[in-house]
Amino acid sequence: MTIASAAPPRLRRMTQSRWAPWLYLSPALITLVVWIYWPLVDAVRLSFYQWNMLPNSPQLFVGWDNYQRIFALPKFWQALRNTGVYIAGLLPLAVLIPLAIAIYTHDLPARSRNVYRAIIFVPMIIAPVVAAAVWRWLLDPGYGLANQAIKGVGLEPVKFLSDPKVAIWTVILITGWKLMGFSTLILAAANANINPSLIEAARMDGASKWEVIRDVRLPLLSSTVLFLVVMTILLGAQWSFTYINVLTGGGPLGSTTNIYYLLWDFGFSTMSVGWGSAAAVILFLGFGALAFVLFRLIDRYSFHDN
Amino acid sequence: MTTDALAQPALVRPITLRRISDRSGLNTAAGHLLMVLLSIFCLFPVYWMVASSFRPANAMFETSLWPMTGSLDNYTQAIDAIPIGRMLINTLVFSAVSTVLQLLTGILAAFAFARWKFPFDKLVYTGVALTWLVPFQVVMIPNYLLVAQMGLLDNVLALILPNLASALAILLLAQAMRGFPKEVVEAARMDGARNWRILWEVLVPNLRGTIASLAILIFISTWNEYFWPLLLSRTAENSVVQIGIQMFMTTEGNQWGPLMAASTLASLPVLIIYIVLQRQVVQSFMKSGIR
Amino acid sequence: MNRKSFLLGALALTLAGPALAQTMAPSVDQPVTITFYNYNLGSAGIGAEATKKLLNEFMAEHPNITVEGVPYSSADGSRIQADLAAGLPVDMVQTVFSDLDFAVHNWGAKALEDIAPADEMAAHFEGMSPNGLKLGVLDGKTYGLAYTFSTPILFYNADLFRQAGLDPDSPPKTWAAVKDAAIAIKEKTGKEGFAAGITGPSAADWLFQGVVRSNGGEVISRDRKTLKFGEPEAIEAVAMLRDLHDAGVYENLDISGAMEGMAAGNVGMYLQTSAVQGVLVAGAKDKFDLRASTMPSFGEKPVRPNNSGSALTIHTADPVKQRAAWELMKFLTSKHGYTIITSEIGYLPLRTDIVDDPQYLGDWVKSHPLVQPNLEQLAVLEPWDPMPGPNYRQIVKTMMDAVEMSVFGGADVAATMADAQANAQALMP
Repeated sequence: MTIASAAPPRLRRMTQSRWAPWLYLSPALITLVVWIYWPLVDAVRLSFYQWNMLPNSPQLFVGWDNYQRIFALPKFWQALRNTGVYIAGLLPLAVLIPLAIAIYTHDLPARSRNVYRAIIFVPMIIAPVVAAAVWRWLLDPGYGLANQAIKGVGLEPVKFLSDPKVAIWTVILITGWKLMGFSTLILAAANANINPSLIEAARMDGASKWEVIRDVRLPLLSSTVLFLVVMTILLGAQWSFTYINVLTGGGPLGSTTNIYYLLWDFGFSTMSVGWGSAAAVILFLGFGALAFVLFRLIDRYSFHDN
Repeated sequence: MTTDALAQPALVRPITLRRISDRSGLNTAAGHLLMVLLSIFCLFPVYWMVASSFRPANAMFETSLWPMTGSLDNYTQAIDAIPIGRMLINTLVFSAVSTVLQLLTGILAAFAFARWKFPFDKLVYTGVALTWLVPFQVVMIPNYLLVAQMGLLDNVLALILPNLASALAILLLAQAMRGFPKEVVEAARMDGARNWRILWEVLVPNLRGTIASLAILIFISTWNEYFWPLLLSRTAENSVVQIGIQMFMTTEGNQWGPLMAASTLASLPVLIIYIVLQRQVVQSFMKSGIR
Repeated sequence: MNRKSFLLGALALTLAGPALAQTMAPSVDQPVTITFYNYNLGSAGIGAEATKKLLNEFMAEHPNITVEGVPYSSADGSRIQADLAAGLPVDMVQTVFSDLDFAVHNWGAKALEDIAPADEMAAHFEGMSPNGLKLGVLDGKTYGLAYTFSTPILFYNADLFRQAGLDPDSPPKTWAAVKDAAIAIKEKTGKEGFAAGITGPSAADWLFQGVVRSNGGEVISRDRKTLKFGEPEAIEAVAMLRDLHDAGVYENLDISGAMEGMAAGNVGMYLQTSAVQGVLVAGAKDKFDLRASTMPSFGEKPVRPNNSGSALTIHTADPVKQRAAWELMKFLTSKHGYTIITSEIGYLPLRTDIVDDPQYLGDWVKSHPLVQPNLEQLAVLEPWDPMPGPNYRQIVKTMMDAVEMSVFGGADVAATMADAQANAQALMP
């Protein structure tokens, strides 16, 4: 009797579990394939041509020319180096500080916690272009408040955006200023998802506040933290795009350009589909390889409450 | 670990008492000082934007903390120059609908990744994540051509269609769902619940914090979107507020006063959404993770 | 006559046939809608207001014609590219001069000689500055009529001049004098001496071309096949700018920083398009005395500035729409059209005869002295040479990156410019 009734449900479950995940995935997958992957595949093909996008114009096959020209750009290697600097500079601002804020504010009384978190978040609400403009005013060597304060202390005014040595850190600072709220929000939500009884169990065992953080919270937050780290590595260059575009144009002397901005400057913004497509393929493959490696690492090192 | 997690509910009350007495005086003072400094760092440029919106053109670059010659002229100019009311409504519709739809598709897709192991699941997951890396300008014109073929130019629907799903939503939700205690899901399945019920009655209510924070983030990112609406909008009345703001940056110079005014006005709805939704983020902490 | 010359004559006639048959319809006898891609419409300000006013006036005068203004960003033409690719009608465009070559060879801009009756053209061109007419000419044909365009102006702060012991009524006319004045301003007042819109991402190469030309050089050869910005005259011009920087009076400010610095009264002299006059005047109101002068010269050599801005180009192939677009073009470039453009937006009039005419610009010019240097330079204006080929933007960027590196980056001027010229030459068609 048991055997006879056991067989049909298992069969049903097996066939259901074959197509069920695809069913759940389909709305998202269809969207992503139609609006992102299909143009990308087309871009791969177009990267070997020279074309102006018009249906009646000929597509001229140029082989690897577009790729060669991009790699031969004088600022290419500088842009790559700068990308590394952007990532290194953004990690503290986009991951470490928000982590500290999320954990610290978690234990505060409700009112000050909400106020602090809201304040940290407000920069995200402002349009990026406007934020860039306001920062430029505040950092101007002539009339900016920052330099007025510096002059008041007796030091030389700092050319935040026109000094090649300082400019990139300024852009990193502004990008990080905007992003802090983003990461704080994600980390606060993940922190809130931690089962409070786990914390209580550790406290009952006599752990101090710092030990609770170190041994219980951080490991449980590790997957989110790693997620944010990977995001910063992969998207850091893109996040700073608006600020570079509005404030420095990649200068002065190429000190603030990064690989994404450079490829936008010479590829996407230039009407030549070939250059733009080649630029897209380079970005995609480059960061894709990086993403693959990083996701593997996340899988290995993250820790779930299970 | 698992049995401990299930056995502690009775000790909820001592938590609050213990936490208050756990705070040492010095920690609080230093912590608060740092937080205050950070708050000034975060808020000051925003204050500057609002203050500048009251300054006339010949005082735009003055350095006094409070506008000396303040007036509402910039606001009236901004409202006259661009149809900001219409734009705000368009942007609100665009952002709200995109947020809801991205959450829906994200929840469904994340459930697929979290619940099942199926052939190619790692590949598809990576494929989803990689869409984040595709620079927008590459897909911009092909998407435009597709929308034009559909006959949807100058329509809010065209703004929304490419934004139906986002890698951020899927990845964050998948991660949150994977981290959800498996025994709760098992318990529900033992009770005979089908997958659909498990998703909507067990997972989603308990992931309210993540979903609310995701909603805030998606709303803001669509609110601040510029390039796609720029390509699509043919008239000012049908465009979004970001376009409106940047209309004050012209080839004959930038009109900062009305720009700051428009930007301040554009920030208010988002601020309200944040205040409303972040309560959900906080409240989710109040519930213990067990139903 | 013998057969050969008969055949040759017939051949010549058939070849000349298309050139003689102007394609546009004689009049607009049915309702028609034309699209006008315009970047002023994409802004909220005097440019948009004046354009809308002109379009409304035109439509009132021509009830059969509806003009659909489509805003696009002058920084890149992706809207035009996307619409053409989608098959949408692109009938008339306000084309930035540096995009003119690309517009002709890719967007289908039509030569006026090919579509408009010659007598109408001649009648319309009467009263236009001959230099101005040449601005829209490419390969010997008139593809565009200069519409919103201006010349480089040296704005200066008379108050800072006085404080530095300089005479504000005799502004510097040569680059050497600019250097001396800038040094004086920097030393006596501590403010920046000189700023310019020569370099910077949104500058393209329009000011740079004028600087090089004023030193007797050129950026591209007259047959548009060879780049020449690595040649001695150009290198000398760049070296002069480098010298200004080394003297500490020409900083690498970004374009907005320079303009706002000038508007805030923190910069002594600012070389930029006269189009930004409105912003500078608004910033200077009740704060400081803003004046304007012509572009500085290299010693005794004549100043040879080129224009900035855009021209109107017709792209449609439909005869009726061509006629409608031509009527619109004539209206926008009429005496009335330029009166509005000059007095309300601040650009130059292509028609020099309206400048003294009290019915048009006469009184306005008298009450706006800042526009005088602009008008003076109209007499010596030369075309802004657009770069050819599909990689034209990359060519400009390569050149201007080298200029920035040479002037502000301490690089060896001759080597950097020559290098860049070689790289850019490889991108030429």
